[in-house]
Amino acid sequence: MGKADVVPTPGVSSDTPAFDAVVVGAGPAGSATALALARAGRSVVLVERGPFPGSKNVYGGVVYGRVLDEVVPGWWNEVPVERWVVRRSTMMMTGTQSLAVDYRSAAWGEAPYNGMTTVRSRFDNWLATKAVEAGAQLVTSTVATGLLRDGHGRIVGVRTDRDQGELRANVVVACDGVNSLLAKEAGLMAPAEASHHTLGVKEVLDLPGHVIDERFGLRRDEGVDIEMLGCTRGIPGGGFLYTNSDTVSLGVVLSLPHLAEAKVRPEELIADLKNHPSVAPYLRGATLREYAAHLIPEGGYDTMPTMVTDGMLVAGDAAAMTLAAGLWLEGVNFAIGSGLAAGRAVDRAIAAGDCSAKGLASYRSDLEGQFVLADHKRFRKAPALVLSERIQQRYPGLICDLVDGMFTVTNPVPKPGGVRLTRSVAAKHGVKLRQLAADTVRALRVFG
Amino acid sequence: MSAAGGVPGSGHEVPGGTWRGISFEDRMSTVEFRVGERAHITVDSDVCRSCTTKACVTACPANLFAPTSEGGILFNYEECFECGTCYMVCNHEGAITWTYPDGGLGVVFHHG
Amino acid sequence: MDDIRPGPMVVACIRITDLRPQIEPLSGTVVREPWSTGLSPPDAAALEYSFRIAEAWSGHVVVITAAPPSADAVLRDARALGATVLRIAVGSPSSDQAYMDDLGSDERAMAGMIVAALAPFGRPSLVVCGDRSSDRGTGALPAFLAHELGAAQALGLVAITTTDQESMVVAERRLDGGWRERLHVPCPAVCSVEGAGVRLRRASLTATLAAQRTEIPQVTAAGGPGTTRGTHPGGPAEVVVGPGRPFRPRTRVVPAPDGDDPRLRLLALTGALVAHDPPTVVGPIDAAGAADALLAFLIRHGYLDTEPVGEEAATEGTR
Ligand SMILES: Cc1cc2nc3c(=O)[nH]c(=O)nc-3n(C[C@H](O)[C@H](O)[C@H](O)COP(=O)(O)OP(=O)(O)OC[C@H]3O[C@@H](n4cnc5c(N)ncnc54)[C@H](O)[C@@H]3O)c2cc1C
Ligand code: SF4
Ligand code: SF4
Repeated sequence: MGKADVVPTPGVSSDTPAFDAVVVGAGPAGSATALALARAGRSVVLVERGPFPGSKNVYGGVVYGRVLDEVVPGWWNEVPVERWVVRRSTMMMTGTQSLAVDYRSAAWGEAPYNGMTTVRSRFDNWLATKAVEAGAQLVTSTVATGLLRDGHGRIVGVRTDRDQGELRANVVVACDGVNSLLAKEAGLMAPAEASHHTLGVKEVLDLPGHVIDERFGLRRDEGVDIEMLGCTRGIPGGGFLYTNSDTVSLGVVLSLPHLAEAKVRPEELIADLKNHPSVAPYLRGATLREYAAHLIPEGGYDTMPTMVTDGMLVAGDAAAMTLAAGLWLEGVNFAIGSGLAAGRAVDRAIAAGDCSAKGLASYRSDLEGQFVLADHKRFRKAPALVLSERIQQRYPGLICDLVDGMFTVTNPVPKPGGVRLTRSVAAKHGVKLRQLAADTVRALRVFG
Repeated sequence: MSAAGGVPGSGHEVPGGTWRGISFEDRMSTVEFRVGERAHITVDSDVCRSCTTKACVTACPANLFAPTSEGGILFNYEECFECGTCYMVCNHEGAITWTYPDGGLGVVFHHG
Repeated sequence: MDDIRPGPMVVACIRITDLRPQIEPLSGTVVREPWSTGLSPPDAAALEYSFRIAEAWSGHVVVITAAPPSADAVLRDARALGATVLRIAVGSPSSDQAYMDDLGSDERAMAGMIVAALAPFGRPSLVVCGDRSSDRGTGALPAFLAHELGAAQALGLVAITTTDQESMVVAERRLDGGWRERLHVPCPAVCSVEGAGVRLRRASLTATLAAQRTEIPQVTAAGGPGTTRGTHPGGPAEVVVGPGRPFRPRTRVVPAPDGDDPRLRLLALTGALVAHDPPTVVGPIDAAGAADALLAFLIRHGYLDTEPVGEEAATEGTR
C-alpha cells in the first residue's frame, strides 16, 4: 500500500488491452458503471469477490430510487422492493424516554416513490443483471488483488486471485467499497482513519407481514423508516429500524474510535435498543434471521479521495460517497449516481483516446454538477455536527425532559413557563441557552 | 429466558419478558460463512503483548479476538464479517495483516 | 452439444440448488433464490473427484444435472474447468408446487432420464455423485443409477483413488469408531462421496471468461420428474414397497430400584457401574445371514416376539 510505486508489472506487454474497462466490485457503484459503459458499447468486465453480487454487502435498508430513472424507465415496476417508505420518523431517546418527529406522505406511496426498503442480495443482483443484459461480463468469486502498471506507472489493469488472472483494460474503475484496497494501492486514498468511519451492526428479524402492518400502522406494501438518536450510550452514532415485507431491520451505527474507547460490545447496544420501551413493543415475538456488520465511510465531502489518476477512477463508497447527513444514511443512490458518471467519463475518455488523469477529469466536474457532489458539499459540515458531543449526548435527554416538562400534568403545581422550563432543563443537561441557540443556527445552516 | 441471557441488571432483561436474549453463538449461527483454508487475517500476538488498548477485543463485531493470559491475542479468522473494524481501531502498526478471503469464500450475507 | 471426446468418461452427476433457502416461519413456504444456487459440499466433492480420476485416466468429465436454467452459472464454472456439461430441463422450482412435484417425483425415473441423456456420450466408466443433496437428501439416486447402468456401486465414500488398472478404483468409507473400510470397486461403477476432505478446484480467469458467454446444452426430460412411482417402462423387475407401519419397538418398563440411598438407586437405574455386554461381532457374513443375525438379536432382547414368516426378508445379493 502507501504511495504509488512505478515499477512496471513484469510480464505486462504493451499490446492492446483485452477490455475497454474493468470494474472492480459489483455493488451499486460497480454495476452502474458497468451498465453505463456497456450501454455505450464499451467492452467491460465486472469483477466481484463474493459468490454473487450483494453477498458481501450490508446496509440499513432504504434505497432512494430516483437515481434509477436513468437506468430503467419505470424501474419501480421491476425493482425487487420490500416496502415503499411512506412514513419516516426521527426519534430522540434516553434510556426511558423518546420523542419522535413523525412524517407521513401519501405521495411517497405512489410512483415514482421516494424511498424503498430492499435487501442487498436482491437489489445488487438486480442491478448487476441489468449490466449483464446490457453486455457487461460479470465474473463472481474473484478478488482483484492488485493493480497492473506499465513502464510509466500508468494503471493498465488488475491482477486477480485466479490462475491466468490478469485483466488488462484501458481504465480500471475501483468500486470496491469502504475498505477500497485498490484506491489505497493507487495512492488515491490515505491509509484508513478510524475517525472517518462508523461501524453498522444490524439484525434482520422475522416478523409476519400482517403483524408489521398492524404495529407500524401500514398497509400492504407501505413501509416505515425510523432513525434514533441517543440510544448508543453516548457513543456518537444512532439507531435505525426499517420494515421489510416480513422482516424488520434493526441496528446501530457507531463511531469507531468512540466504540473502541467505550469498550462496549456492539451487540450489547443492539440489545439495549431492542429493550427500549419505545422499541420493544414493535418487536415482540420477532426472531433473529441474520446478523451482520459493515463499515460506513462517514467523513463526507471533506474526506473524499482524489478520484482520478492515470488509467483509474474511484466511485461509490470507495470514494467515501455515503452521505451521512445525520442519521439519514444515503449511499446506494450516491454510489449509483457516481457509477453512472464514472461510466460516462470513461466512455468519453476512450472516445478521445486519452485515459490519463486529464482525460478522465470530466468525472469530477460531472459529479459536482449533479446531486452526487452537490448534496455532499451542501452537507459537508453535517457529519461533524451530528456526531458532536452535544447533539449526541446532551440534546436527546434535554429535548425529552423539555417535552416531559410540558406534557406531564403536575396539578396543582402550576406549569413552568416555556423559557423558564427550557433554561432549567438545559442547565440540568449542562447546556447553555446560548449554545442551544448557536447549534440551532448551525443546524439550520448545515441542513437548511 | 435462560439464566445466561436474563440476569437482572445486565442490560439484557426484557420489559414484560417478551424479548428473549440470544447467545453469541446462536447469533453467529444465523450467518453463512464459506470458510477457506487460508487465514485472510492474521494477528501478531507478540506485537499485541505491548498493546495497552486491546481495542479489537470489544470492537470486533464477530468477537474474534480473545485476549490470552500472557497478554497476547488469540485470533480465529473463520467467522469474520470482513468489515475492517479491527485494522482501523488497532493501535499498533503491524499487529494485523488484513486481506480479503479468496474469491467466493468468507461471509455470505443473504439479507444485507 | 459439446463434442464427444475420446478416453474414459467420468460423469459427475450433481444437484444444483439454493443452498440456504428461506422458510417462511408461518406458512412453511420455501423461498429459493436463483443467485444463491450452488453446489453443496458433497456435490462439490463429487465434481473434484471426477476431475482427479479423469486426469489420472487421461479421460474426460461430463457434468450432468437435472435443474432449471438457474443452474447454468454453476455449469459454466464446470465448463471453465474443462468439463462437458449437460442440463436436463426440469420445471422451475420457484413455485412451491413445482418443487413439491419434484420432491414427490420418482428417483428411479430420474435415474432413467439421466442414463438416457448420457447415452449419446458413450458408456461412463465411473459416475460420481454427492452422498446426499441439501434439499432432497435421500441419497437414493446413485443406487438407482447403478441399477440402470448395470454398474457396481459404492456409496457414502470419503475418498476415491485410481489404481494402475483403469478397470478398478479404490474407495474409502467411514465405519464406526474411527475405522475405515477400503473397497476395491470394479468399473463401470457409481460412487457417492461425502462433502469432506477435498475442495473443488477453481477455474482460471481466462477459461471463466471464455465459458461465460456460452450456451448450456439442454435436453428435455423424457417422462420428467413427477412421473408416478414405479411406472418406468421397460425397466427390470422392481422392488415394490407396499404401505407399511413404522417400526416402533415397545418400551421396556424398568422397575424402580429398591433401597434408601438415592445415589445407589440412581446407579442401579442408570447401570453406570454395571459391566456391559461386549459388542457382538457377527460376520463377515452374507446379507441373508446378517438379516437373520439382526432378527435373532431383536427376538433375544424382546423386541420381536415371533419368528418372521417365510422367505420375505431374504433378498438377492447385489452385483
Ligand atoms: C449499516 C449501514 C447502513 C446503511 N444504510 C443505508 C441506507 O439506508 N440507504 C443507503 O442508501 N445507503 C446506506 N448505507 C450505505 C450503502 O450501503 C453504501 O453507500 C453502498 O453500498 C455503496 O455502494 P458501493 O457500490 O460503492 O460499495 P459496496 O456496496 O460496498 O460494494 C463494493 C463491492 O465490491 C466488492 N469488492 C470489494 N473489494 C473487491 C476486490 N478487491 N475484488 C473484487 N470485488 C471486490 C465487494 O464484494 C462489494 O460487492 C448503509 C451502510 C451501512 C454499512
Ligand atoms: S488493538 Fe491491535 S495491537 Fe492491540 S491487541 Fe488488538 S490487534 Fe493487538
Ligand atoms: S474484519 Fe471485522 S469481523 Fe473480521 S476480524 Fe476484523 S473486526 Fe472482526
